[in-house]
Amino acid sequence: MSAPTLPHLSSAQWLRKNLFRGPLDAVITILAGAVVGYVVFRMLRFVFVSGRWEIVERNLTLFMVGQYDRTQLWRPALAVVISAALAGLVAGVIRRRQAAAGRLPDPHLGGVRKLTNLSGRLWPALVGLLLLLGLTTSPGPWLVAGAALLAAAAGSALGRRAPRGFAWALAPGILLCLFGLVAFLAQPLEWDRWGGMMLNLLLAGTSIVLCFPLGVLLALGRRSQLPAIRAVCTGYIELFRGAPLIALLLMANVALGFFVPQELAPGKVVRAIVVFTLFTAAYIAEIVRGGLQSVPDGQLEAGKAIGLSPVRITAMIELPQALRNVIPAMVGQFISLFKDTTLAGAAMGFLDLLAGAEAATSQPAFRGQGLIAETLVFVALLFWVGSYTMSRESQRLELRLGVGQR
Amino acid sequence: MSAHDHSAAPRAMIELIGVWKRFDDFVALRDINLSVAPQEVVVVIGPSGSGKSTLIRCINRLEKHDAGRIFVGGTELSDDLRNIQEIRRETGMVFQQFNLFPHLSVLDNVTLGPRQARKMPKRDANQLGMQLLEQVRIPEQAQKYPGQLSGGQQQRVAIARALAMRPKVMLFDEPTSALDPEMINEVLDAMKDLAREGMTMIVVTHEMGFAREVADRVVFMADGEIVETGTPEHFFTKPSENRTKAFLSQIL
Repeated sequence: MSAPTLPHLSSAQWLRKNLFRGPLDAVITILAGAVVGYVVFRMLRFVFVSGRWEIVERNLTLFMVGQYDRTQLWRPALAVVISAALAGLVAGVIRRRQAAAGRLPDPHLGGVRKLTNLSGRLWPALVGLLLLLGLTTSPGPWLVAGAALLAAAAGSALGRRAPRGFAWALAPGILLCLFGLVAFLAQPLEWDRWGGMMLNLLLAGTSIVLCFPLGVLLALGRRSQLPAIRAVCTGYIELFRGAPLIALLLMANVALGFFVPQELAPGKVVRAIVVFTLFTAAYIAEIVRGGLQSVPDGQLEAGKAIGLSPVRITAMIELPQALRNVIPAMVGQFISLFKDTTLAGAAMGFLDLLAGAEAATSQPAFRGQGLIAETLVFVALLFWVGSYTMSRESQRLELRLGVGQR
Repeated sequence: MSAHDHSAAPRAMIELIGVWKRFDDFVALRDINLSVAPQEVVVVIGPSGSGKSTLIRCINRLEKHDAGRIFVGGTELSDDLRNIQEIRRETGMVFQQFNLFPHLSVLDNVTLGPRQARKMPKRDANQLGMQLLEQVRIPEQAQKYPGQLSGGQQQRVAIARALAMRPKVMLFDEPTSALDPEMINEVLDAMKDLAREGMTMIVVTHEMGFAREVADRVVFMADGEIVETGTPEHFFTKPSENRTKAFLSQIL
């Protein structure tokens, strides 16, 4: 049986069928069209005519790295290049594993096609990058972007040739490298005085890495058979879900001094990371618990029937399926965390991306000119690039892990 | 020989003595006594809700019996987790809904048990796994995922997965009830092969043809009790109990 073919519609027919089927449809279409047209017109006019983007151009460095010593900018540049190389390395190793398992969707693809595929996949990030490069007035960022691309390609080539068994060392190795990079960046400027996008990325990245294992442990603890563990985990989760994030940040900033002597209190960045980690872990725990409940009882019974221990049943049968089922919700939580890092600026006085954008409008050159819209649009766009990229990559991961599942 | 040894003349592979099981007010098993000899194939039939599934699920402790004693291979089933796991490793189980692990390839489904519960090296486990997949006649599906297989193929993988632990006993819980009719025979054939090779089996099924052809003994259950047991010939031609006659008249 062949699939029924849709009748081909001319554009006039399509319009009538979808937008002007009856008088009410016509009115709605015209009204909605007018509203959308007006909004788009105002936006385009703002972006290309009335918007005064000089404030963003002049403050680009401030928005990216805050108060970082301008003679030390080679450090963040090097960090970007090394991160790109690491990302390439991971991609290369993954690609080789897929090739070895015969699960590569398109094993014999030319270099050009590969490049267009990759840019199609990462187009939001590409848009953000081109925008940043378009706004720069110096050649430095172009050099960094070029070097980062080369480094990613080199890393990928290396990853595909890496010896077997290397994959096991990969995750801890990468974490160690990233830790080293942060230490390296913190040399000229201790991280409590960091700012700009760099600070938002540090807070979000560290908290995501830390809150995930904590959240999984809490989820497992909440269903533990030991009442004490269950009570502690449930209490923790409900406590942190019941408090506003900004209140926790303010408490970490101000009230910590009441409980801990000044010299023992950790720095502000550490406090912020701890708050973000503890807060998000509570949400991750509930998401993972939902995932665990979605695994059918039959899976546990099958694991028991072949004589696996309870720990192995959880680790090898329940968790892999549960985590796959909750990827969308979990990445949603990470995206939320990424954007919420701006609250640290508001509550703890960091000059992060958002706070920097506000601060720029009171610089002597721009004071009192009502340029807040320009800076906020720019900040929003950068956060959108990060969030949308995470969202798209998570959908890819979901599809990939769903191979052959019902 | 352990102190638990239960010395019946030809030692029973499975022995249930006075086993009771309740779910709240509902009595699922009522004073069950059953002994299965090595290499014997016992088919358990009966109306739904008669306790057939509960009976075999008690043998590998997927359900905990309330009273009575259960011996598998001469070892008594106790509350000790190590003992339970040891008995489960000697007891293969095949479920109505297959319960394959959807996130693992077919071969990994089969080798997970030997590798994780028996610490078998990966290479040996894969070799064993391929051998078992050949035995159930689907070696070509080894790298696929369960969701890509038909129901009959999935159930044969489930049989291979259970066999990978080299069990002394195989328990089948309505293995063909969830299958489309055209796939039932491929699963029954795999089970017949097993019976011919001398595997001790307890099979809960509605496949009367299988019972007639393969069973050494048929056990008829109703309302949590064993009503009648006998050879297939005796059972299908001249059953002695009224409940058996009523059941047979409904299904034949």
